[in-house]
Amino acid sequence: MSSFTSLMPTGARTVLSICRPSLRQWPMAAPLFSSYQQVREASNNRQAQGKNKKEKAIKKTKKGPREFRQKDLKDMQQWALCDAIRYIRAIEVGREPTSIKYEIHIRLKTLRDGPVIRNMLRFPHSVQTESRICVICPPGSRHAKEALTAGAVLVGEKEVFDAVKDGKIEFDRCICHPDSVDAMNKAGLGRILGPRGLMPSVKTGTVVDDVASRVEMLRGGTVYRERDAVVRLPIGQLGFTPEQLRDNLRVTLDQVKKDAASLNDRINKEIHEVVLSSTNGPGFSLNGEFTSENSAEIATLSV
Amino acid sequence: MVNLAQRMRKLKTRLLNVRVGTGAAIFPSAATATKEFPAITRLHLTYAQKIYGGHLGARHFWRNCLPRLKYHNPAIPISVQQTKDQEGPAALTIYFAEKISNAASLTAAQATDKLAPKPSETEKTATVDLKNLDYKDIWTSVKMITGAQEVPATAEEEKQLQEVEQLRQRSIQDRARVAGIRQAKKDQERMLQEARGEVEKLKQV
Repeated sequence: MSSFTSLMPTGARTVLSICRPSLRQWPMAAPLFSSYQQVREASNNRQAQGKNKKEKAIKKTKKGPREFRQKDLKDMQQWALCDAIRYIRAIEVGREPTSIKYEIHIRLKTLRDGPVIRNMLRFPHSVQTESRICVICPPGSRHAKEALTAGAVLVGEKEVFDAVKDGKIEFDRCICHPDSVDAMNKAGLGRILGPRGLMPSVKTGTVVDDVASRVEMLRGGTVYRERDAVVRLPIGQLGFTPEQLRDNLRVTLDQVKKDAASLNDRINKEIHEVVLSSTNGPGFSLNGEFTSENSAEIATLSV
Repeated sequence: MVNLAQRMRKLKTRLLNVRVGTGAAIFPSAATATKEFPAITRLHLTYAQKIYGGHLGARHFWRNCLPRLKYHNPAIPISVQQTKDQEGPAALTIYFAEKISNAASLTAAQATDKLAPKPSETEKTATVDLKNLDYKDIWTSVKMITGAQEVPATAEEEKQLQEVEQLRQRSIQDRARVAGIRQAKKDQERMLQEARGEVEKLKQV
């Protein structure tokens, strides 16, 4: 019997152990099988116990690295800004220069479970083509007037709700004044605005007292946050000149450094790598230079 | 993040393809223009969304040649318009400063492209019909019309091209090898499955 089972592949043996109860009802084979199975089971259990102990021990000692792993950049070819721009412009040839964006990815040296950078910034050269902003606040109030002068497209309460319910959403951002929150919740816009990420809420910072300054910020501002140790954000349109891109890049890096410094005294965040890419293009690790000796003329890199 | 060697190899191959290949050439600019071939100021390509009706070559020209042209001539604006009109033109409009080249006046007078931007007062345009042409044929005719000077690959680039080719050959072998391993594993599993089925049968007897 034992020779028979040992010839069988291991998988089949386990099958045997599974169908044991039904085999027991088979009188002839029952004693043979059951005696064998008891031995197997006992040994099985012993093995299993040993395994469990080992696993527990491993779990206790093994704790993932506290920091995100960083690659050594010495094997990484890095480019000057103008060289990267030349390649990106070649790869994005024939596309709409206003809709294609340069993107920046800032890799940070940081803890896995530490606080993350999350902020908003204004570029010297605006990336977005003028975003349209809707403000929900009591019509005719001081806030409504301020919001309009700050450049909001749609201001009011009832007219906004009606427009949204009709499916006319002609804005990219929505802010609400605390006085109008109740009216907004009653109107039941969550079902329409929620999936688009336009529903104002205190959590996302879109229910604010000072509506006007918020509108100002949103019009030229870009929101960014750190995810898995990388901050990603668009920093320019394809039609930008290298100088414009450089200015935006400088502002971004300064801001991120400032954010990192202002987090906490004990938390140490550093910039590890800066990568420039574009909507359809590959990523170029930047070396911090503006031009290299064999890069093209700067004036030619914006047409 | 993908491991660096892999990331760099992929990127370098892509960039090498932007630098060398069909269409890696420099157009005559204001400084290098001759009487025969005046300077090129810009290019415009129009083609339709789907490939039937002979629009395939035009799209390939955009995908393959235009990035190389743009890389070697960063100062020349190149625009591409994709239309939904399959009956419409598949055409490349070349804008010459002052006058069109002799070659262009001989070959490219017949086609018209209404979607191309209007030439300025000092520009003259020549339109090439691209329908039912392979992108390599398109490039030879464009080269002939414009008098573009091909940029030969440097020794280093040649070496890189060879390396890429070697890696490609190697990956064909590796793919076959790994497919064999996977197949063997699958066969093994299937055999086990069949064995289990036989045990079930035995049980039912």
